[in-house]
Formats: sequence, C-alpha cells, structure tokens
Amino acid sequence: MPQATRTKKPDVKVVILGDMNVGKTSLLHRYTERKFKDTISTVGGAFFMKQWGPYNISIWDTAGREQFHGLGSMYCRGAAAVILTYDVTNWQSLAELENRFLSLTDTANADCIFAIVGNKADLTDTRIQGPDTDGEQVDERQPVVTCPTSPAILHKQVSREDAIALYSHVLRYKGLEEKACLPADKMCFETSAKTGYNVDSLFESLFDLVLPSILKKRSEGESSTVDLESPMEVKTNKAGCCS
Amino acid sequence: MPSHPEGILESSDPTSEENPRTQDHQPDLQKLHIQSSETDSGKASQDSALDNGHDDSGEFVVTMLARSKVEEQGMGTKDASSPLSETGTPLGPPSHRNEDVTADSWRQHRKHVFVLSEAGKPIYSRYGSEEALSSTMGVMMALVSFVQSGDNTIRSVYSDEHTVVFTQRGPLVLVSVSSSRQSEQQLRQELLYVYNQIVSMLTQASITRIFEHKKNYDLRRLLAGSEKILDGLLNLVDSDPSILLSAVHCLPLASSLRDSLSQILQKSITPNLVFSILIAKNQLLTIVQEKTVIEDARLEPSDLHLLLNLIGASSAFQAGEIWTPICLPSFNPDCYFYAYISYLDPPECTVCLVLLSTDKEAFYSVAECKRKIEEAMQTQNALNSIAKAHLYSVSQVGVSDLRHFMYKPFDVPDNHRQLTQFTSPEMEAPYSSEEERMRLLDLYRDMHSRIHSTSRPLKLIYHVAERETLLAWVTSKFELYTCFSPLVTKTCAINAITKLLRWIKKEEDRLFIRYPPKYSTTPNPSKSSKSDAH
Repeated sequence: MPQATRTKKPDVKVVILGDMNVGKTSLLHRYTERKFKDTISTVGGAFFMKQWGPYNISIWDTAGREQFHGLGSMYCRGAAAVILTYDVTNWQSLAELENRFLSLTDTANADCIFAIVGNKADLTDTRIQGPDTDGEQVDERQPVVTCPTSPAILHKQVSREDAIALYSHVLRYKGLEEKACLPADKMCFETSAKTGYNVDSLFESLFDLVLPSILKKRSEGESSTVDLESPMEVKTNKAGCCS
Repeated sequence: MPSHPEGILESSDPTSEENPRTQDHQPDLQKLHIQSSETDSGKASQDSALDNGHDDSGEFVVTMLARSKVEEQGMGTKDASSPLSETGTPLGPPSHRNEDVTADSWRQHRKHVFVLSEAGKPIYSRYGSEEALSSTMGVMMALVSFVQSGDNTIRSVYSDEHTVVFTQRGPLVLVSVSSSRQSEQQLRQELLYVYNQIVSMLTQASITRIFEHKKNYDLRRLLAGSEKILDGLLNLVDSDPSILLSAVHCLPLASSLRDSLSQILQKSITPNLVFSILIAKNQLLTIVQEKTVIEDARLEPSDLHLLLNLIGASSAFQAGEIWTPICLPSFNPDCYFYAYISYLDPPECTVCLVLLSTDKEAFYSVAECKRKIEEAMQTQNALNSIAKAHLYSVSQVGVSDLRHFMYKPFDVPDNHRQLTQFTSPEMEAPYSSEEERMRLLDLYRDMHSRIHSTSRPLKLIYHVAERETLLAWVTSKFELYTCFSPLVTKTCAINAITKLLRWIKKEEDRLFIRYPPKYSTTPNPSKSSKSDAH
C-alpha cells in the first residue's frame, strides 16, 4: 500500500549506489514491482518507501551518472545500509565503486552496513537465465540490449573474490575492524534483476540486518526523528542560486 | 594540435587561437564562394555514395553542400516552395540508436539533429549512434571551421530538399538537417532548445569549464542516459505548437478551481522553495512563485517546456519521489535548482507536482510540502475535479467553418511579469490522424515563419490552400492562427474571427492563468523550528 506508507515517517534509510547501467533501478523495480522492464537512466535520485513488517524502510535509488554526483552525500546522509552495485560483466563498474562512490558514503551512519551486489548475473550464467523461484517467465523474445542476437553467455569480468576483496576495502576505508563486522560472504551478492535471481534474498537479508539499527533508533526516542531532519534545517539559510 | 577534428580536412583548425565564441555576435557579411568550385566533385561523391552502400555517411553533408548554395548571417532569402500545397510528410519511425546510418531510410528522416563539440567529437544524434556518425560530424565541424578560418560564421546551407542550420553555443556546435521546410529561424530556435535542454542537465558554467579544461572531452560521459530526454524534446518540438509559439498551454479549468489549487500550493511552503507547479496531462494547471527572492524574475515558457519534457521523458519518475538538480537556462544558465517531482494520482500518473527549491538538502521538508498539498487536495476532492478537466472542442466556440485555432494573447494582466500562454482547442477531424495533425502543424509553421519573417514581416495572411483556408493575424494584443474549411469566404472568415475573439474574451478566466499567485519563503532564522519537523 504505497498510499498508506507514504504518510509515515521512515524508520531507516537504505541507499543504492553504483555506476550507470549496472541496473540499480531495475533491481529495485524487480523487488518492489516483481517485474523487469526497460528503465531509462535515473535522473537525480528516487525515493521509495517499503513497508517491512512494522517498519518503514526508505530506499534511495540514485543516478549512476557523474552528473548527479553533487547530490550523492545528500542521498547517503544518515543511511543505515548502502548497496554498492556493479555489473558482473563490466570490471570498470566494480572499480568505479571504490573510485567514485565510496567517498559518498561518508555521510552515512557510523554503523552503516554495506552490501556489494553484482547484478546481471543472468548474462554470465545459464543456470540463472531460466525462470526463477518467483515463477516469472523470462521473455526470451527480448534479449538484453547488450546481447542483441542470441542469449550468448558474456564473459564474467568480476569474480566473487573481487567483490569480497572490495568489501574488505570498504571496511578498511570506513576504519572498521573486519572481525567486528558482518562477514563478507554474507554481504556479497550476485543477482539478476532480469530473472529475479537472488533479488529478494538481497533486500530481505539487508532489511533484517538493519533491524537492530531501527530498534536502536527507536529506543533513543523521539530525538532520532530530529536527527534526520536537523542537519538539513541548519543549512536553510545557505544562499541559493538566485540570491 | 590537441583539438584537431577527427579524420577530416587538414587545413583549418577549428579552435585556432582566436575565440570562435565571440564571432556569434559579429555579423560578417562577406560572400562565400565555396559552392561553385566544388559542385562537380561533390556530385561525383554523391554518385559514389549511391553506388557503394558501405560508403561513409559523412558524405551526406558534403553532397548536400555541393548541391546547395551557402548562406551566411541571415542574408540569404529562402526560395523554398511553400508546403501549403503539398501533403505532409508522415513522421518517421520511432528513433533508433542503432539505426544503420548508411541506409536510405536514415537519410530520409524528416529532421536530423546533431550536437558536437568544437573538437568535432559527437555528443548527440537524433537517429543512429554517435560513434557511427563520428566522421559525418567531423565533416560538419570541418564546414564550421572552414568558414570560421575566413573570419566568418556558417549559418545555413540550402538544397532542394534540405535545410542545414548551424549554430554554435559556447563549445557546442548544433546542426539541424531538415526537410520539413521550416524557416531557418524556427530551426535555429529548435536547436537552441536542444542546447538549453543540455544546459538544464549540466549548466552552462560546467560545460564551459569542462571544455576549457579539456578540449576533446567526450561530453557523452556526462550525458549518457539523457538521449531519451533529447529525443523526447525533438518529438515535442515536432508535435506540439507550444515551442513554435514560445508560450505555455494551460489546461482549461474553472477559475474557482484553479484559484483553490493555487491557494493549496501557496499554503504548503518551506524555506527556499521558489516555484510550485502543478501539471495535469502534460499541461499546466497552476504555478505559484516565491515573491521576494525572484521579484523581478519569472519563469520563461522555454524553461517550463524543458521541465515538462524532462518529466514526460522520464518514465522512472512515475514511481516514488524524485529529487534532482535541474538548471533553468533562461532563468540562470549557471546554477541548479533542486526539483522535487512526484505524481499525485498513482498509478494513473497524470497529475504531477513539481516543487523547485534552491536548497539541495531540502528534500525532506519539500516532501513534507507535498504531503500537505496531497491532504488539502484530498479534502477538496480536487483530483476528481482535475480528472474532469480536458481540452475543449472548437465546436464550443459556435462558429461554423472554424476547424482549429491557436491564440496567444499579449494583454494578460501583469503580462510582463508572467508566463506567456496560448490557448488552442483539441485537434479534431479532419485532423485526428497523426499525419493530418502534422500537416496542419506544418501549415501553421509556415504561416508563423511568414508572419515573423525577418526580411518581410507580415501582420495578416489569408491563405487559401487545397484542403483548408488559413488566416493568421498579429496585433499588439494577440497573435492568432486560424484554420477554416476550404470553402469559407474572406468576409465569412473575418466575421468568424470577431466571434472567436469575443468567445475567448468571455472564457479567458478559464483558458488562462490570469493572476498567478505568489508566496514568500524567504529564509527566516527565527522560524527554524517550524511545523514540518514533527
């Protein structure tokens, strides 16, 4: 019920980051709408609310284009979880996560958790190309644009080990002790927004993992709501472009 | 030579030391003579292009140039036959990034638009991929720099079938290759829209900065994913008279309803909010603006068109709430506003709220404004009333023989401060098919170009065409284009226009936004613990 959740306050914030064309919007669309469709390049960021049991989880789906980098830290402010997304068929998209996107997460919560997600797994693995657990038939007549002729298997450029290595880089960047954090094999996912492979499992395990963060916030009482808003209020006297 | 155009003429460096940008303002009326000496070889290259299917499409432009006379600085008088007696060209198939640029079908598109950098790097092509067209664009840049090297500026090239219009804005070169028989000014205005749409995404300051830093920068890096927005704009340019008239089309609405919607927007404000805009069915319902920050400014129709196009071209906008930077080039080409965009009637998604703020961190407080607006609209059942609003039929005017019209008033109260608007009924039979609608628009475009001709502007045109009669009339108070059945007499048409003007006068409160309201959101430190932080 999007209408109902809309009026509620978000309890926790999740941000999806990653280079353009890795399938961030498609992942979210697969999860929320249970479908895969041709999305067009996201402009800025899109804000969604997802009811998770008694909690409202807000999700920022951000644009991967450099053009919108200026807003990255705003989308990440106070985030409890960040989904760093890359394309398994594109090594550069993994490199970009460390080069461009990691620094955007500086404004996230100190106890923010990170997931590393390799999307488009269906392009490199035949087993994933078939219909997935959610029972949706893959439309074979519309192959993904990157393989217009046949459902040829693309070379997998990013291995799971690379993703796990990135995860420990992330923890090091955040100055976190690897042992104190969630284990890498639990936080690195390979998904396919096209077939739905692993998508539910990604979002649901992530939501489960942010629950403690919600409870902590709730136990801290009303002040937490102000935490979300107050940093923005302070800056309202910042002159805009037309002053 | 860091900025050497790729794979073309060796002679002229397009970005030689003198700043080519300043030449925009130097009317240089020397005559060019490049066409005569090249005719034969150009002809030959055309033939070879036909023989050899794999020939590079770069010759497309060369061929055209060879067959054409070159005109500069608006001195040429276009000697094109009027499209009025012809049947309209049907629209091409939907645009394709991966179209074969060597195919005839590619050449036959009614209007091509190309954007390239001064270094000759492709940035955008309406049809076909930019990579495949890099040598075509190289040729275009060669033309631009060749003429530039003679201290001149290339403006247009005319051939029997095509008009090629060049325009340079900062480090970007825009080229329109059109067989639509539109005037050069019209095509140039469309190119300006394309440029402004790019600016709306990047700002002029950052485009300039990027190219100052690195002349051969590939701007597609920043624009990747935005092609559909430019495609959408060009479709809008072809199919919607708003851009031709430089005016905004409002959805007709009882003034009481429009006022109450405006009041809702007026009450739902937060610091740094500067514009609140309500759109239904891609037409404007109401717009409220901040009064102190932008006291002497107003939203230009072109900025609103760009904003509407951005919303229309982005299907992703239909879910969730969007927060994105956007620059309004006519307002200020160098700065961003932050736009909150959300549909009020999911899943139909016809009523869209756009809130513009100058504070990039203001998402949550602006989203709170939306909830207030949503609540207030719910209590007034406003969505239902909006759903009932629609365009009117020309039959409501009660003038037989009148088939369609476009009316743009100049005498709206407080006009110098507000949005230029126009009103127009639905296009009904015989203009209900896509082709016929396009044909009527082409007729209007032709009337418009003759009214606004720089060499011989006209006040009144009565034109008897094969299948309809048209009358265009410009006064100090309005600009009017009317379309009648072909058998109407001149007296009859003039009487009809008197009646039409009377009808518009009577209906003007419904057809136009008459008194756009304002609010004040000047940042006020004492107000910082305000209502939206509950």
